[in-house]
Amino acid sequence: MLVLRRRPGESLMIGDDVEIEFLESNSQGVKIGIRAPREITILRKELQLTQMQNRAASLDVDLQKLNWKAR
Amino acid sequence: MPLLATKYFATLPYESSDCYQFPLGIPGFDDEKQFVLLNIPGKEPLVFLQSVATPGLCFLALPILVVDPVYELCVSTEDLRTLDLEPARQPRLGGEALVLALLAIETGQDATANLLAPIVINVAKRRAVQAIRCDSVYSHRQSLPQLSRSEAC
Repeated sequence: MLVLRRRPGESLMIGDDVEIEFLESNSQGVKIGIRAPREITILRKELQLTQMQNRAASLDVDLQKLNWKAR
Repeated sequence: MPLLATKYFATLPYESSDCYQFPLGIPGFDDEKQFVLLNIPGKEPLVFLQSVATPGLCFLALPILVVDPVYELCVSTEDLRTLDLEPARQPRLGGEALVLALLAIETGQDATANLLAPIVINVAKRRAVQAIRCDSVYSHRQSLPQLSRSEAC
């Protein structure tokens, strides 16, 4: 992983089109701004993981074969 | 009593008190706003979250304390407002809030439970959200060795 140190007001570019600006930082977290073309989807990672996991959870399950063993 | 077309159990009568509103849908299924919670005799502790609008959509789930007896909730203020719960504190598990982990049971893999994004239900108001945690304390694919598949012999 590339690790960079940036201060509030500074930016970095990903490719030619995506700019990430670091706006402020405090004990609650880091606030960033993103400038990117409309066709690029930007999602919080945990939301993307949840979408993927929900799709996997919606697949057919053969209930006859499932066994529950209490620990 | 209304009837519900289900994915796994043909058509079942259901109590309107078992029907929960998901005002935001759930991620990946944003238009699914109503689910019925099915408790099927013989299938405990599994529960089934059956879509009202889409008979072919049904999630398997477990009460979250069955997956992790010491699970600690971390529901965002926005989600608590959506649920019509007190936004200033975490809801009591098993009391005002019913909390479920959705299960993924994919071919050739162990069953997993999503502890990153539990389904939180305000039982009294019949409102529910999938509450995605902002921390990374719990996995979205927690292995579930208690749930196994027997292969046909």
